[in-house]
Amino acid sequence: MTSFVTATLIGVSLGAQYALLALGFTLIFGILGVVNFAHGGFYVLGGYAAYWFVSAAGLPYPLAVVLATLVTGILGYLFELLLIERLVDDHLATLMLTLGLYLMLSTGILITFGPESPLFEFPLNGTLRAGPFYFPIANLVVLAVCLLAILGVYALIFRTDLGRALRALADDRQVAAAQGLRPRLLFPLAFALACGLAGMTGALVTPILSLAPHVGDPVLATSFLIVILGGLGSIGGATVAAFLVGLVEAYSSVYLGGSKGALALFVLVLIILVVRPSGLFGRIAREA
Amino acid sequence: MMASSARSALGACCALIIATGPARAACELKLGIVGGLSGATAQWGAAIKAAVEFVAADANAAGGLKVGAESCHVTTSAFDTKATAEGAAAAGNGLASQGIKFVLGPVVSPEATGIKPIAARNGMLVFLNSYAKNAIGPQWPLVFHEGPGPSVWADPIVKVAKSQFGLKSVVVVAPNDQGGTDIASVDADVYRQNGIEATTEYYQRGTANFAPIVTRILSHGPDAVDTASSAPSDAGVLVKQLRQAGFKGSIGRLGGAATDEILRISGGPEVLKDAYWYENVAIADPRVRAVYDDYRRVMGTAAPENTTMVLWVAAGRLLLKAISEAGTISDTKAVAATLRRQTVDDKYLGRGRWTGQKFFGINQEISYPFGIGLMVNGEMKPIQRADPPAE
Repeated sequence: MTSFVTATLIGVSLGAQYALLALGFTLIFGILGVVNFAHGGFYVLGGYAAYWFVSAAGLPYPLAVVLATLVTGILGYLFELLLIERLVDDHLATLMLTLGLYLMLSTGILITFGPESPLFEFPLNGTLRAGPFYFPIANLVVLAVCLLAILGVYALIFRTDLGRALRALADDRQVAAAQGLRPRLLFPLAFALACGLAGMTGALVTPILSLAPHVGDPVLATSFLIVILGGLGSIGGATVAAFLVGLVEAYSSVYLGGSKGALALFVLVLIILVVRPSGLFGRIAREA
Repeated sequence: MMASSARSALGACCALIIATGPARAACELKLGIVGGLSGATAQWGAAIKAAVEFVAADANAAGGLKVGAESCHVTTSAFDTKATAEGAAAAGNGLASQGIKFVLGPVVSPEATGIKPIAARNGMLVFLNSYAKNAIGPQWPLVFHEGPGPSVWADPIVKVAKSQFGLKSVVVVAPNDQGGTDIASVDADVYRQNGIEATTEYYQRGTANFAPIVTRILSHGPDAVDTASSAPSDAGVLVKQLRQAGFKGSIGRLGGAATDEILRISGGPEVLKDAYWYENVAIADPRVRAVYDDYRRVMGTAAPENTTMVLWVAAGRLLLKAISEAGTISDTKAVAATLRRQTVDDKYLGRGRWTGQKFFGINQEISYPFGIGLMVNGEMKPIQRADPPAE
């Protein structure tokens, strides 16, 4: 029972982090139709930006997280505006562009900061304990911020004019453009939002795990897995799938071990995709 | 006028080729460097690169490497494997295409598996530092082990840890590929031989959050958790999360040395608290420290902190000595034969010995004195120097 409760807490915590990452990934695909292979790079960049703001600029950590989100968001905006926008309908070209950006980001960080992990600690230490149960305070804070950010993204997408415009573009770009919506203005904003979310996750999560130039590699794989499971382009699907993956990962690792646990997760995804090829909440085909 | 200028330019080019050609063609010994220069094992790859470049620069500063009647200029060519088998195989092919015959690196077992067939096909002599059970062997006569694995040094470390921390049980944690399982199983056997109950737990390489695995480890109720050959950043996160979960036992590391990285990520000595680990070299020894001064003098910059660099420097120097004595920069079999006759005695590391016959079936492993690291209640003890046991 102790293991089950602990695994549930870990799973929810993992799910919130995954959801924040996957939301950005699925937003870009849903709205632009671009698979962003640089998503892990923005996660790492967010971590290093926050580290730099704290260690070199001497800023408090919460402000560093905000600035890291802005830096990654602005970089994402410029990348979309200057490069992706020109080739947005060429899927192979955008795939290579984003993959190239990821390599540039990770190599640039490696050259600038070196291969070793820097000392980057979460400002709050300590662990809440109740009998055999425990929850690190840092994880609790990150979980709360992640949940707030997820709610914020939902509010933005479903309760604002900008969100309505983005959803309209995702549904049918040509009809939306005929109604006066401007993809050239909105696409960079959507890309900035997604990259900012990845950067914020990096700034929040790397101090509680580790910060190194390579830590974006598994982020891309996990985001991809979640977004495919939830249904490419589906915001609700990505959120549900993120928590599902987090919980399955936690339970399977605790009860089956690290190796068999990873296998169990992929077997589950495989079964779901066999039953529902378009994912849990995906549409049959993307029209945009 | 144009024709005259063209003739002048052509003449200048010819003069330049004549002037520089013979010097370049005289004798160039190019050493291959293979390792994970990016990715989770980048600090080990960076250590190889720095070491080999230092050895080359040191030889060149002394007027080049004497090979027969010639003085050869030593250069290097580095390939990034990203710590993967396919990356190492690609590196091997890349080096072969450059005609390179002598290779230092790689480090982790999948890389070793990837490069050995390519090296054998192209007659390359390779120094590697994998802890895999088949890292070297009679079927790979041109493959040498730059430093020994746990089969040589784990036993004395376990004895020290058992005496210091009173260990009765341990969980050995490692990635679930050859780079993890080969080392973890040897470590677990050594613990068992010392009367300590040992369990192994494996994880998927690329795991970022170890909280679920920590829960599973704690269900065993171990006295110690050994991070074996986990990547340094993985081990740091694992230690941090073990302590957050309330684990009070000691932390072992019978695998690649990575103490600084583990301390940085986990939160420092007050988090690591009680620990024991394999240290590549007896780093407190002033003779060993001298390599860092020499590195700064020759390279004009500080050496990487990872102590695997010192072992690679020793291997590189021994290789150059063998090449010089063999009098060839192309006949790797002749160099290998000369290498086997070399006395293992390095100016920084002192007297070592050839090992490997008992574990690998071939006596091609260089074993220098190593270090046993110990931290008790957050206080770092001086690194104990230990001689490699005779086989």
